Amino acid sequence: MTGPSRPNSGQDISFTFDGTRYSARAGDTLAAALLANGIGLVGRSFKYHRPRGIMTAGVEEPNALVTVGEGGRAEPNTRATDVFVYDGLAAQSQNRWPNLSLDFGAILGLAAPVFSAGFYYKTFFGSAKRWMFYEHFIRKAAGLGNAPRDADPDRFSQRAAFCDVLVVGAGPAGIAAAREAADAGKRVILVEQDDILGASLIRDPQELDSAWAKESADRIRASGGHILTRTTASGYWEHDLVTLTQRLAEPGQVPANGVAQRLWHVRAGQVILATGSIERPMAFPHNDRPGVMLSQAVRTYVRRFGVCPGQRVVIATNNDDAYLTAHALKEAGAQIVAILDARPAPAGQEHGFTTFNNAHPLATKGSRHCLKSVSGIVDGIPKSWDADLLAVSGGFTPVVHLHCQAGGTLEWNDAAQAFVPGQSRQNVKTIGGAASPAPVFSAAPVVPAKKSFVDFQNDVTLADVDLAWAEGYRSVEHLKRYTTLGMATDQGKTSNMGALARLAEKQGVAIPEAGLTTFRPPYTPVTMGLFAGTAAKDAGAHKRRLALFDVHAAKNPIWQPLGYWFRPRAYPMAGESLAEAAMREARSVRTAVGMTDVSTLAKFEISGPDAVALLETVCATSVGKLAVGRGRYTFMLREDGFVFDDGTVWRIDENRYLLTSSTGGADRMATHLSYVRNYLHPELRVSVVNVQEHLAGIAIAGPKAKSVLATLTGEEPPRHMSTVGAKIAGVAVLVLAASYSGERAFEIYVDARNAEPVWAECETAVVGTGGCLYGLEAMEFLRIEKGHLVVGGEIDGRMTPLDLALDKMLNTGGGFIGAAGLTRPALSEAGRRQLVGLEAVEGSIPEGSMLVTADGKSPEGHVTASAFRIMDGGSLALGQLADGFLRHGEELIATSPTRGQKARVRVVAPHFYDSAGERYRD
Amino acid sequence: MLHPISMTAQGNAIVTDVTVSTLPSAPLWAFEIWNNPDAVATRFAAAAGFALPEMGTSGGSDALRLIRYEPTVWLVEGDASALPSILDNDGALTAIGGGVTRVLMSGRGWRRLLMEGGVFDAESPAFAVGSSAATIIDHVNIRLLVLSEDACLAYVPLSYAQGILHFWQEAAKALD
Repeated sequence: MTGPSRPNSGQDISFTFDGTRYSARAGDTLAAALLANGIGLVGRSFKYHRPRGIMTAGVEEPNALVTVGEGGRAEPNTRATDVFVYDGLAAQSQNRWPNLSLDFGAILGLAAPVFSAGFYYKTFFGSAKRWMFYEHFIRKAAGLGNAPRDADPDRFSQRAAFCDVLVVGAGPAGIAAAREAADAGKRVILVEQDDILGASLIRDPQELDSAWAKESADRIRASGGHILTRTTASGYWEHDLVTLTQRLAEPGQVPANGVAQRLWHVRAGQVILATGSIERPMAFPHNDRPGVMLSQAVRTYVRRFGVCPGQRVVIATNNDDAYLTAHALKEAGAQIVAILDARPAPAGQEHGFTTFNNAHPLATKGSRHCLKSVSGIVDGIPKSWDADLLAVSGGFTPVVHLHCQAGGTLEWNDAAQAFVPGQSRQNVKTIGGAASPAPVFSAAPVVPAKKSFVDFQNDVTLADVDLAWAEGYRSVEHLKRYTTLGMATDQGKTSNMGALARLAEKQGVAIPEAGLTTFRPPYTPVTMGLFAGTAAKDAGAHKRRLALFDVHAAKNPIWQPLGYWFRPRAYPMAGESLAEAAMREARSVRTAVGMTDVSTLAKFEISGPDAVALLETVCATSVGKLAVGRGRYTFMLREDGFVFDDGTVWRIDENRYLLTSSTGGADRMATHLSYVRNYLHPELRVSVVNVQEHLAGIAIAGPKAKSVLATLTGEEPPRHMSTVGAKIAGVAVLVLAASYSGERAFEIYVDARNAEPVWAECETAVVGTGGCLYGLEAMEFLRIEKGHLVVGGEIDGRMTPLDLALDKMLNTGGGFIGAAGLTRPALSEAGRRQLVGLEAVEGSIPEGSMLVTADGKSPEGHVTASAFRIMDGGSLALGQLADGFLRHGEELIATSPTRGQKARVRVVAPHFYDSAGERYRD
Repeated sequence: MLHPISMTAQGNAIVTDVTVSTLPSAPLWAFEIWNNPDAVATRFAAAAGFALPEMGTSGGSDALRLIRYEPTVWLVEGDASALPSILDNDGALTAIGGGVTRVLMSGRGWRRLLMEGGVFDAESPAFAVGSSAATIIDHVNIRLLVLSEDACLAYVPLSYAQGILHFWQEAAKALD
């Protein structure tokens, strides 16, 4: 099966296919290597398990799909025509059992009439449970390769690029365009999905040869341009953004630097598409047999890889291009048995081959592995030829995918019987074969429709198209979905035009009138990991580290993700569980003192003579009368009147305030403040600076907190909701007397660069007073027992200040964002959910459970947070309940059916501890 | 504290060298003007000896450098003691240095490295010495200042600093 241009010597590369070892030459695709080793059967079809070989030499290959690589690196459904062999490559055929040659699934072919178009729609009526039963068998019987079970060990990169001119496709037209742009001083990127430049030049050396391609590439690079090979332009988006997928390693190959693929986001001033065209197959019975190949593909194997796919060859064509294949095969020593030319009369020069005009292929015969004969019809008379290769050329389909993704229109080229790019909505231009495909002779197939495949990958035949038509499917979009035409991994690259022509024929209209389906990205399949990029390995984001991260890490806490932050959840002592540690820490706060890291709170420094005006726009509470050195609780509304965040506001100087808000809402609050400052009130003389990361925060809470702070600062601590500047460990700090625990407490803010000595001194003092560190879990226990709100729990975007019993704190002067929305009658109607406390009558209250009056009744609310009484036990919770303020004392059921948990609860006020606030007072 | 990451990676086009180092922490401020910008600019130029930089640029030297990254806000590095009086009642100076890690990228490969996970054209000739930019790299908001053709300073949020350093370290292994 090798031709004269295949080098006899050279380094052999070892690879395996279905466990058998073979050798290849450097530069071989897997398809070329398999052909060189005499392998004709490469895969089984999706539905009928029909034997399939290699049909093309490019990314459009519908048949030769294999799994390449092993373990987590395995890549299923890889086109054998689009993977270059490397030493150790391991490929497996797919969708067969027990093996490729003897596939029991092929019995499905006998039942092909049953599995025709619309099989699912006609068969699977009835309950969903029946489908669940069928699905198991269907998925076993039909399908593609299996996804790997192991994690992919490789990394994926994403990179931005900008250029004046992006050229897609490095055939002669693309190279010339890139070279011209580079010569003109433009920033150029040239991309090519192959591993070498040239495209058709490799197959058909012309006046421009590979030397010209190399010289051009050198010039482009010398002028600062970039050339990316093994790179596919997979998507064209708005504003001339084109995504490129670059293979840095072949499928299944261990990448040299750990990065297997790179996703490029290229923003181009102009895009030139030199994407060429894809040869079309012809429809006739058994046109899918191994040994039936596209004509240009045959030429590629002969001239580029030195592999001759057959010795006795029949060529079927409706254009001149296939004669080049005949010449190439003849040069390689193959015998051209016959050329079946659909055109009624000889076209052009005499080629010296046995040529029949008005001739069409009618059928093929052969084994699972190879072709044995071709029958055809010449001037209405059947004929037959012994042959081991049938090269077909049904014309050319321009690759217009990117042009269409960019919003461009298509025009019909009657001579080529193809759609070509029309108008462009973006700055994109198509050149070369994609703009001017070769003319062909148009002739509708005059062959039986059964087993005449148009979509090889999804096993769709002309008979399926006819059946869909007969059953009333007129729109091409409906035809596509009913037959699954063009919906396989190849997205119909070789099939759509054939089926469209059949639909038009049925409709009695010209092809462009039959319509066209939508071209969507990606052009070729893209590995999911590439979309995730580096985030594929860490669930999508960096971990945000506290300024004191290392200090905490040294104490081996249990960590808790909080947004992107990681915070200590608890600091367990030896043998302690999370619950035990958290309860110990919480009790320490209730009885002595504890300290915790509150650095992640949102913090904004707001300065200027109009700071109050801005704050009273953002905050729904009054700020104007706040004295220097004082602070107060506040909350913020959306424009529709619902609470979206809460925090504290502190007047730290005459015209300078510190606003704190929730950790989880920090970015949202920053955006909101920017919106108010820059859009709603640009006239305000105010500065808003996000100091969330600048200030590390330490909270000290408990009945001994005051004495601890006095020891630390050497000064009398501020009273509750007051603030002072002080020094701890010689470092300037800002002390806010605020509590989120129900105990007397202080928040100490310090420049994050100086946080470590302050923390260390605080810890020494706290531990020396019999206290301990506490984490988020204890903080949650403490705040629930006290009835403090949390954003995302009680404040869930659906609650008004009235629902949360915050209405008495509203700024009576109005003017704040949300004031107007709050006046809507619906927000004060009966039946709204309101904040309540819940205490267990029996059982433990499941967090997130529904509140119902009896089993089977509709939920009237839910539990937002649950905990245990810190000092005396018992389950308690906060929740939202319809008309909750009026239902104190009522008993309900808190039920979580998904967890099989429930508890009887009593509705109470949402303050379980020191409701009068006595413990804040000195 | 220094975390030098030196790497040389060879690809099919060029050879890229870049060294990434975390610089010692330094005081930084946000300098915001809310009123009388022309008067402030005049006072500033008279006191500092150079004009307030335009959008996307920087001015000054290691002693006092300002980088304009918002229409009314400059990032200040160096001796800012004179700035409150220059601002007078027309603006505010707010300390932000505790939340920023400065990362120095040196070597001619820094532009290519910044394209990894980025959305900004760091390879543009227009992004020249003295230029600045506020951008997103691998989901992290970062400010850039071109110090020279062989050096760029990145201002990274403290909480993301370790993550982005790791990102750059890994990206540099496959730089071409």
